Amino acid sequence: MWESRISRAEQLAAQFPAAQELLVFYGGLLSAQQEIYERLRRREDWLPSGALEIDLPALRVMLPRLLIAVNASGPEALATEAQRLLQSGARETGQLLLDYWRAPGAEQFFAKAFLQPYAQWLIETGARPVDRNIERGANRCPYCGGKPQLSFLLSAEGDEESGGRSLLCCLCLSAWPLRRVVCVNCGEERPAQLAYFSAPEYDHVRIEACDSCGHYLKGIDLTRLGLAVPLVDEVAAAPLDLWAREQGYAKIELNLVGL
Amino acid sequence: MDVSRRTFIKTTLAGGVTASAFGFDTAPVYAQTQALKISRTSETRSTCPYCSVSCGVIIHTLGDKAKNTTPQVVHVEGDPDHPINRGTLCPKGASLEQEIYNERRLTKPQVRRPGSDRWEDISWDDAINEIARKVKETRDATFVEKDNRGRTVNRCEGIAFTGGCTDTNEFNYLVVKSMRSLGVCYLENQARV
Repeated sequence: MWESRISRAEQLAAQFPAAQELLVFYGGLLSAQQEIYERLRRREDWLPSGALEIDLPALRVMLPRLLIAVNASGPEALATEAQRLLQSGARETGQLLLDYWRAPGAEQFFAKAFLQPYAQWLIETGARPVDRNIERGANRCPYCGGKPQLSFLLSAEGDEESGGRSLLCCLCLSAWPLRRVVCVNCGEERPAQLAYFSAPEYDHVRIEACDSCGHYLKGIDLTRLGLAVPLVDEVAAAPLDLWAREQGYAKIELNLVGL
Repeated sequence: MDVSRRTFIKTTLAGGVTASAFGFDTAPVYAQTQALKISRTSETRSTCPYCSVSCGVIIHTLGDKAKNTTPQVVHVEGDPDHPINRGTLCPKGASLEQEIYNERRLTKPQVRRPGSDRWEDISWDDAINEIARKVKETRDATFVEKDNRGRTVNRCEGIAFTGGCTDTNEFNYLVVKSMRSLGVCYLENQARV
């Protein structure tokens, strides 16, 4: 799973020069996340409880791996903050993670990036995330309550000619279905208010926007390109984000390169 | 300072196109953005008109909502969220787009005369006049005012009408009203959507 994301990032970095810096950074970040995830899986003496405050002592020791990676390859602002966090105390970094856990926001880069492998590990162990006082609904992850990072279309059965829509959680990276022709953010269903923008350069990626609430997310059509890895292809299609921003749309959840 | 530094990345998007919220230089990305040929489509849920199964479809329409452009259907696919067909379509339903754009689609009336082996074009006026004349002749010749027990029935047994599955509710309403007024009993329609 992590390997396919990393190799896709390498492949797309060579394919899309404009987004190369973003993809190289994201590939490195994915490698750090993979290492954290593998270290969690290898621990035989411990299973997560789902309450971050309780699990924090076991997790915190893995944070430097991510901070070092960001410090080495991130943009100046992120690198500086990573350096500072490396030198800060356990209390501050713990609070940073708990703040995100309890009140997540896409701008909390370090907490989001660090907790993604933890949340994915929670799913595999069967532990339920607790102590998360966040909004629930059809547009939120049924497992952890995270916002959708992106959507993707995939034929669930081989004989379908069109794909059903699933949303990918920004935190635990799990997917859940949400019907098409409805705004992911506000639930708008009038076709005239729902816009789908695409460009030939990104044949399998489109912007799913809503003129009622002004929000959008990107959709990856796996019925068009089965080799795509939604999380990475979404980053590679960065020009679409800038275009959407110019049109006045706001993204539901920023990705880990801040677009 | 702690809080502001922890959340220092709360960069507003108003910063524009040269940096991402996390400080990445997006100038090269923005340069590519300017070259993109973006098109806007909308998706509209509908029901396949061809048979009584009533499969759900999604119609993709190209158009930027500008008043001086006509929206254009570019794709029709099965609705994966529809409980009847779950995204599948039969070959006929899958070709729905062709009902609008196929160049072999008939756009004017045609007639095949008795004994003829070919269809010939006919104007709408001539077609309507001919149909009206034949309806009148047939009704006059076959109209049954009373049945063999003397009861008044006022029926026309020489004409039957069958409707197509793409007929609209409004059209079918008018068909029933006009056929019943003629006394036509043999009235059928495939539309069960």
